[in-house]
Amino acid sequence: MIRNIITLTVNDLAIAFKNKTIYLILFIPLFVFLSLQFVDQKNEELRTIQIGLIQNVEYSPVIIQSLKAADTVFVVSWLATEEEGRRWLKEKKIDGFLLKSEKEPRSLELLVLEKASFQTIAIVEGFSALQIAVEGKSKNWLSDIKSLRDSGIQRQTLPTWILMLVLLVGFIVIPAQIAEEKEKKLLLGLLQTPVRECEWLVAKLFLGMILIHLAVIFLHLLGKFEVENSLSYCAFIGIGSFCFSSFGIFLGFLCRTQASARTLGVLFYLPLLLPSALSDFSQKLHSFAPVLPSYQFYGPIKAILLEGGGVSNFPLEWIYLCFVGLITSLFSYLLLKKRWLM
Amino acid sequence: MLIEVRDLAKIYNGKRGLLQTSFAVEKGELIAIVGHNGAGKSTLLKMLSSWIIPDSGEVLVDGINLENRIALVRKIGFVPETPNLFDFFSVEYNFKLFARLFQIPFSRIEEILKEFNLLTYRHNKVQVLSKGLKQRVSIGRSLLADPPVLLFDEPTSGLDFEMTKEVYRLLKSTHSSGKTILFTSHRPEEIKTLATRIMLLHQGSVVFDGQPQEYFQSKIYENLYA
Repeated sequence: MIRNIITLTVNDLAIAFKNKTIYLILFIPLFVFLSLQFVDQKNEELRTIQIGLIQNVEYSPVIIQSLKAADTVFVVSWLATEEEGRRWLKEKKIDGFLLKSEKEPRSLELLVLEKASFQTIAIVEGFSALQIAVEGKSKNWLSDIKSLRDSGIQRQTLPTWILMLVLLVGFIVIPAQIAEEKEKKLLLGLLQTPVRECEWLVAKLFLGMILIHLAVIFLHLLGKFEVENSLSYCAFIGIGSFCFSSFGIFLGFLCRTQASARTLGVLFYLPLLLPSALSDFSQKLHSFAPVLPSYQFYGPIKAILLEGGGVSNFPLEWIYLCFVGLITSLFSYLLLKKRWLM
Repeated sequence: MLIEVRDLAKIYNGKRGLLQTSFAVEKGELIAIVGHNGAGKSTLLKMLSSWIIPDSGEVLVDGINLENRIALVRKIGFVPETPNLFDFFSVEYNFKLFARLFQIPFSRIEEILKEFNLLTYRHNKVQVLSKGLKQRVSIGRSLLADPPVLLFDEPTSGLDFEMTKEVYRLLKSTHSSGKTILFTSHRPEEIKTLATRIMLLHQGSVVFDGQPQEYFQSKIYENLYA
């Protein structure tokens, strides 16, 4: 009995090696370790904090002098109006700006893009250290922190869930379906009809885009999430679904079986999801994430959903996603023409 | 001449496959392509049906070049060794899908279902059918567009005696309706019963091409199989 169990276990392990499941076992801990390395950064590696001050606001001279003196930590930008400050904040030219507190005239209010972000933590930590160095323990300079994104936590996390859905269809659902069609020779069967390769490819793109749209609509209906700038939102969901469906089709073509397609899908899914979704909490990830197509989708979606941004603010992101979608579609077409791994 | 193959070749990773091969097929022939495993039989059929892209060579089917796949699919029907049907759908759905893609009226489906005794199974999911029935559906589907040439890759592989006889009957009736058929086989009795011409492939080359009688009396047959 034990011998049989050992034989079967060894056989199962051999299958796990053969269908590349073992890569996941090695890859996931490695990926988590690397991500933690990015997130867990040392203080000396912190970049300077871009802080804004409004020209017609009377700040305490001690605070201004302290900020100027701590020029290795804070870089001060003078802003004409509060409106300009909000615009700079949205454009990420500054990390936050200071206003006179309405409740306590001797204190300041900090306005940031998002309360739960590494920039806000860095500003608060920096101010606290500065205040202790200048005045010792006394009343905090900052009496309140306000966020430009004043929506609830459900709304705040919505862009992450949208990104997760889009990538899930793109990297898990689509590659497995392509590989299944290849594995069962269904694709070759269809190519024995007058269907052109490009027609098959476009149909698969439509499948991915429809699935993504359905998932997003369903999530919005369930959560009763409303979108102000719905046209811009649809434009980015559309281009994102095109980009990641196309990427998924390409991955499907690189695999012979469903099992390997699922493994390869996860290998792409996690590195595209996590750095983008965690970029608000880590400076390193924030500087690395923009090279990923997922971040080029996540950033605009976040801005549209939380800050009322529009598609016109993100032309480069739109072009980038379009380019990735087109290039992966072209590769898929060439592999299909060559009957790659069929 | 219905099919003309000139210097067709396909090599997998520097070994096996089909070396440069040329032959011609007349209308109405029923050709058995025989040979050991790895001789290049399936590779040849798969290249003729655009499943595999050849490394070199040229094929003309009724004057249409192999590269013109869209036109060629109406000339060649291919029945693979393992039926490649959408097995989570019904028999009828499989026929309808292909009829739509070929832009064939659905009345043709009724003809095929009747001809292949599949009327009672039309609403059954393919996955619940026996291998023999699946093969029958697969053959029926390849005949939807009424192509003049049919290619069968090991049509009786894995079938029991009754189902094998049924496939023979279908092959004969299809052939007698004027179709040109090429099929690969390992079974001498199948070849004797069905073929009007035999092509023997050995290590990727055609080493015999002639009548069944000549083949079974030839030294080459004795050397390879005796």
